[in-house]
Amino acid sequence: MSLYSVLIVDDEEEFRDMTAKRLSKRDLQCECAPDGDTALGMIAEKSYDVVLLDVKMPGRDGIETLREIKRIAPMTEVVMLTGHASVESGINGIRYGAFDYLMKPMELDPLFEKLNAAYERKRTQQEKIKMAQIKKNMARPS
Amino acid sequence: MTLLDRLLTLLRRLRRSATAPPSPGPEELHRQFIARSRSFRDLLTANANTLAAMAELETALRDGRTLSMTFIRARCTLVTVNVFKIIHHLNRMADGRYSELERAFSRLHRQIETILDGRRKPATGALILDLRQVGRAQADLTGEKMANLGEAGSIEGIRVPPGFVLTTAATGLFFQRNQLYPRINHIIQQMDIADLEDLHGKSGAIQELIRAAPMPPELETLLLDHFDRLAEARPGCRVAVRSSALGEDLGQASFAGLYHTELDVGRDTLLDACKAVLASKYTPRAISYRLAKGFRHEEIEMCIGVLTMVEATVSGICYTRSIGGRNDTLDLFCAPGTAKGIVDGTRATGHLLLERAPPHRIVRRLEAEEAIAPWLIDAEATTLAETGMRLEHHFGAPQDIEWSIDRDGRLYVLQSRPITAAALHAPVAAHPPPADDRLVLHGGVTGCGGAGCGAVCVVHGPEDMLRFPRRAVLVVRHPLPEWAPLLKRAAALVAETGSEAGHLATLSREFGLPALLALDRATELLADGDMVTVDATNRAVYRGRVEEALRRPVERTNPMDGSPLQRTLIEVLQLISPLNLTDPASPDFQAGRCRTLHDITRFCHEKSVIEMFEFGRRFRFAKGTAKRLRDTLPIEWWVVDLGGAFVPHYDLSRTDIDIADIACRPLQAIWAGMHGVPWEGPPVAGLRTMVAFLFHSALRDGLDPARTSALREKNYFLLSQKYCNLSARLGYHYAMIEAMLGDRPGDRYITFRFKGGAAGESQRVRRIELLAAVLDHFGYRIDRLGDALTARVERESEQVLLDRLKVLGYLVIHTRQLDLVMAEAGAERSYRDTFIQEIEDMLNHE
Repeated sequence: MSLYSVLIVDDEEEFRDMTAKRLSKRDLQCECAPDGDTALGMIAEKSYDVVLLDVKMPGRDGIETLREIKRIAPMTEVVMLTGHASVESGINGIRYGAFDYLMKPMELDPLFEKLNAAYERKRTQQEKIKMAQIKKNMARPS
Repeated sequence: MTLLDRLLTLLRRLRRSATAPPSPGPEELHRQFIARSRSFRDLLTANANTLAAMAELETALRDGRTLSMTFIRARCTLVTVNVFKIIHHLNRMADGRYSELERAFSRLHRQIETILDGRRKPATGALILDLRQVGRAQADLTGEKMANLGEAGSIEGIRVPPGFVLTTAATGLFFQRNQLYPRINHIIQQMDIADLEDLHGKSGAIQELIRAAPMPPELETLLLDHFDRLAEARPGCRVAVRSSALGEDLGQASFAGLYHTELDVGRDTLLDACKAVLASKYTPRAISYRLAKGFRHEEIEMCIGVLTMVEATVSGICYTRSIGGRNDTLDLFCAPGTAKGIVDGTRATGHLLLERAPPHRIVRRLEAEEAIAPWLIDAEATTLAETGMRLEHHFGAPQDIEWSIDRDGRLYVLQSRPITAAALHAPVAAHPPPADDRLVLHGGVTGCGGAGCGAVCVVHGPEDMLRFPRRAVLVVRHPLPEWAPLLKRAAALVAETGSEAGHLATLSREFGLPALLALDRATELLADGDMVTVDATNRAVYRGRVEEALRRPVERTNPMDGSPLQRTLIEVLQLISPLNLTDPASPDFQAGRCRTLHDITRFCHEKSVIEMFEFGRRFRFAKGTAKRLRDTLPIEWWVVDLGGAFVPHYDLSRTDIDIADIACRPLQAIWAGMHGVPWEGPPVAGLRTMVAFLFHSALRDGLDPARTSALREKNYFLLSQKYCNLSARLGYHYAMIEAMLGDRPGDRYITFRFKGGAAGESQRVRRIELLAAVLDHFGYRIDRLGDALTARVERESEQVLLDRLKVLGYLVIHTRQLDLVMAEAGAERSYRDTFIQEIEDMLNHE
């Protein structure tokens, strides 16, 4: 059984496939998209726990895609990827609601750790909302 | 803070709550509290990440081994983005009341970026210069090598080959027109420098990029025109296309033989040859050399010298001060044909030692066996010595000179540069090797003194480089510059050919790597995996580990010292790591006073803790309100739950709580430490110290009645199940404990801060020393600044961290007001021993 679902969005096919393969071995359910528009289409259809999103892509860039993801699926956590150490894209990522960012190339362990942390946050958020809902329902006189 | 200030603050606070919109309902408050707790925890994670990356940068500055531009840029980005996150989260917790911080942040961020980008001014000036127009004054435009050569040509009686220089303005134009730097940086940023295979792949990609880029048309025309002018004087002439880099003079680095030289180039291949030389800036050996010596590739600008070929009958190297022999002698190395074979170490080389003073008597002559007639007659040797000394005199330092003599007996100087300092270290006196059965090989030439021990790895070609293990003994046939990337990993170098004058020998001296050259049959007699000791000073190789050879100390210098990369790191660290805001009670503790990223981090951390309390106070909201923690000690403890810190059955309407109802593991450990050993109350002070104590209390606080309660101030714990933050004012000192026991190693840490306390400076310092000694004993990492102390432990297992927290719990209680008795010298030792003993008993007891 998979732990949670990840959508990998990157224009580099080799990176995408390799990452998906290695994360699948660690029981994550991975899907891939080659660009921002494809990713947004997939997210509209189905919910993903975490999105791994490259900043630099042809067409709709990472930051734009991030803002759109946060609009249509606010609970989904996004981890940004940057090809080179760019403070600007890191800051913009945080500003528009990304969970965190990673610099390429990265090792599998830190990536896995970061995705787990992102998923952990999503899960606790969801639980809190659920609990609040239950309390609200219980408080309401029937 | 004066009483008036306090009153004003209080009034402002009251007014704020009075004008605030009507309190939102409990559900809304609960939602807000959860959002704030979440921001607070995210802030703490970013805080830990920032401090970890800062520590990595500081360590890199100290040991120099892991330093690279990629590393600095990546860590600086990590720090900057995480500080931004901290500010972002603080503003979320405080409804944007700290937006002032963003100004300080953007200023620092911009300054750091400017330093990291390097302030490279585009070169302006002629695209091509005739060598006769070139001198030292043009070094910025022509590179070191060609500036020196042009200058040498202007000296009376010294001949250099006719030629011209393609300047930095020209090569800069080539790089810029083809957008090469951004593309190269993109590749380099993704390179794994520890992985030689990756290094070769990326190096190939960059060189290909450069070779494939078109030469700007105006440059192409100029190049061919100048070539034609050379050919007018000597029809059918061929040229040598050589590198001449800029910026190599920075730091103690020779860049010996790292770049490419194309020989015998004609008009049809001139453009390709130029591009090949430019591309050689990115060979694996050049990249790894720059990384090892701390140079940024953008800072090394490449110029190109195009020189008419000299039809050499004999060529060689002259060191105007001998690198192996007596101080009053100079070295001449020579071989038939061009000098390439000597510097590549592939050619059998003759060696002459001459006196530096005229008439330059020949002290010693060593010629290769295959020489039938002497390669260099005495008269030529004397002329060379004269020329060498003239160059040394002109340039003001001992020179490393490359020369050729043509068939008409004319002497040409091809290059002249200062000998790097490393080469001039006094040679160590050699001892005859002990004649025992461990001796495998004896003889050869010392390239760099010293001894090293390791497993043999014979390298025949580039493919062998990839399997070269760390700390192995590098054994090769020829000491080619290609092997340079291995020097940093090797324990010693052994080659069958070569001389002290070879590039690899020069590089081995710079890295302090023991090197033994011209050792016949080394690749035959030494097999992969053999454990050997190479005693380069005494020119011997032994089987196994020979302690007496290794015991003589060899100085291994930090290769980064004085490098541009080190300077860059120092400059950015100035904006990152100094901590100016140390005391939250000081009037300087303000957003506008943040001068470094560390200041911002510290400021935000302090304010975020306060925000969490304030929220509870401002809204008097059931879940956020602090609960009094019941204790037998006469101290007021209050706890605030950030989520999951109380056991499920705890009744939230209560105003106090028992330790048994706390589910927070870190607090349980601290609490156990606080109560593990009974506290005997404040120690009894002598009359004189009591007077001093009162004096200092008065000095600190004035006659402020608000301060009389300081001894009974409330102390707060902020808690979640895995997190604990204690800010305590115990007696007159301030202590902060922060502990996180997460599942991931990065989320497991303890930070302890301690500061202040009445009593004189020397007593406060003595108390800090006592604390530091005890904490050090229990495995804390200590940073001290005056009477402030920070102690950290990170990434340990949960059990280890819980034990360390007990230590803190003990110390917080038992060092209360210790200043009073610490006035007596020698007191700290007895307290230290007592403390350590009691803590160990407490930890072992369970």
